[in-house]
Amino acid sequence: MLGEIRQSRLLGLLVAAASSLFLFSLLFGSQTIPVFQALQETFDDTSSVLALILTEVRLPRALIALFAGATLGLCGAAMQAMLRNPLASPGLIGSASGAALGAVIALYFGSAALSQFSLPLGGILGSLGATLLVYLLAGRNAGTLTLILAGVAINSLTLALISLLLNLAPSPYAVQEIVLWMMGSLANSSMQNFWIMLPGTLLGWMLLLRVGRALDALTLGEETAQSMGIDLPRLRWRIFLAVALAVGSAVSVTGAIGFIGLVVPHMLRPFVGYQPGRLLAASALGGAILLLAADILVRLLPAQTEIKVGVVTALVGAPFFLYLIIKSRRYNQ
Amino acid sequence: MELHFCGEFRASEWRRPIALPAFLTDAIAMSLLRPTLLLLSLLTVAGWAHGADTPPSRVVSINLCTDQLLLMLADADQIASVSYLSLQPESSFVAEEAQRYPVNHARPEELLALDPDLILTVEFTDRRLLGLLEKLGYRIAQLPMPTSISGIESNIRSLAKLLGQNARGEALIHQMQSMLSRIPHQPAHQRPKALFYQPRGYTSGIDTLQNEALALAGWSNLAANIGISGYSSIDLESLLLGQPDQIFSSAYTGETRSLAQRQLHHPALRHITHNRPIIEIPFKYWICGGPMIADAVAELHAALPKKQ
Repeated sequence: MLGEIRQSRLLGLLVAAASSLFLFSLLFGSQTIPVFQALQETFDDTSSVLALILTEVRLPRALIALFAGATLGLCGAAMQAMLRNPLASPGLIGSASGAALGAVIALYFGSAALSQFSLPLGGILGSLGATLLVYLLAGRNAGTLTLILAGVAINSLTLALISLLLNLAPSPYAVQEIVLWMMGSLANSSMQNFWIMLPGTLLGWMLLLRVGRALDALTLGEETAQSMGIDLPRLRWRIFLAVALAVGSAVSVTGAIGFIGLVVPHMLRPFVGYQPGRLLAASALGGAILLLAADILVRLLPAQTEIKVGVVTALVGAPFFLYLIIKSRRYNQ
Repeated sequence: MELHFCGEFRASEWRRPIALPAFLTDAIAMSLLRPTLLLLSLLTVAGWAHGADTPPSRVVSINLCTDQLLLMLADADQIASVSYLSLQPESSFVAEEAQRYPVNHARPEELLALDPDLILTVEFTDRRLLGLLEKLGYRIAQLPMPTSISGIESNIRSLAKLLGQNARGEALIHQMQSMLSRIPHQPAHQRPKALFYQPRGYTSGIDTLQNEALALAGWSNLAANIGISGYSSIDLESLLLGQPDQIFSSAYTGETRSLAQRQLHHPALRHITHNRPIIEIPFKYWICGGPMIADAVAELHAALPKKQ
């Protein structure tokens, strides 16, 4: 197995990878355009087609991939550390599907006048509701299996409700959008979408800024952590709220993109010496890298209709999930 | 600009007072009321069916597209029923006229009760329903879905022939052609670029009514220019690179709250057309091919940028 790397070096590498993928994402689209000319025309402030494609089509998409990916990676790491459960992640314990349900209610049934704010708000409330429900169902010291089962139950329920609501929605297009909410997509995003998700996302991140030390202490067990002065209920609420804010806002714009929050923390854990505090920043960058890469891939794949980005993350993530299950089985035997 | 020919094309304009086979249908109606005459009338019906040029007198249409042409071409007493879809004003061009007739929902029980001597529908119809009706010995005519003006004309001609209304068919075609010919021809080099952009990013390429209508109206269809054929999705970058001067939309529903329709509000679409809003062309012009396409061409022509 690969060993621990110095934090500054690790973060440096990840930042370099994330920023090159971000640039890559601006370079490649469904059509080939002379990017340098586009860049020049953007800075010259002439309203040219190339500048338009760069700033209104590719930039919002890359920014949303960056922020949504980072959110999922970060929240996955925080949840795994807090629940001390390797399978906890926004996708598996309902935060993402709950957010999608909330966003669906806000978008298809909300009042048009409030739509700008109601969309992320719906996502945040849905995410918080579903996460808390799973947490209460599974109990505070739930084992891996109980938590996953509670997650499966709530995920099935929210997905069924999403289907039901989209079938009942007044718009004739709603039914066709079920897949979009369940798999997630970044296609046709605009800067407006990015501004909608930004406040909640940043607020969620800020709440997670200083939980690193507490999460490190938690690895020693709850009692030890409490003896070290960690206020556990407060920590839990802080993380639930942060996840709801960040995941809720991101999912309300992208749909529920799966597996990033699960896979990324596991991949990076060996490099940070299994310290949850150090994992947070690394996992955020890792999530951004994974989503940017997946989104570049769907754009480059030759398909009549663009493949949903969530399909790619699921194709990568599901086998990894199986690997985790097999690995944990070996531990238990 | 002095183009004011967007005359509403109404089916009622095409209905003249007729005295043709009314006595025949009356006979059937009476026979249904009076059982004593039933046998006689059945024999007569059988006799007519053999006669080559006896027009059908109890025509039932089960599809919006055939409803519209039937109402434009047939005598009132030839029509036994039209589909319920023809009553919906957003999609039907003949919503008002259709109210005068019994409606059906293309259910077998309903159709049997109507006792039709000709059932009209289009090429894409539930195979099981058609199979059942054929088995029961009903006469069925299926019209193709036209993708061009000439396809519309041949549909009108063949239906007019079936109904024994050849003259009315030719008049309908003539009316459509004369409306189309009043729209000035736009030279190739003066054609601004446009395309249809529908919710979910769909557009109309080669071999579509929208393509032909755009061309007749004096636009150059961007989607056809980049080789899109039929109804297909176009990605945002291709659309922007084509630099359309105008974007049209023609959704089968009004503005509702959905991601599909949000796509039409992408800011890049407004930038590329220099803030010209998307123009909505009513869907009922082409949900079915028919002479009303001339109205669509007129609307598209009226949207051409005015010369400075």
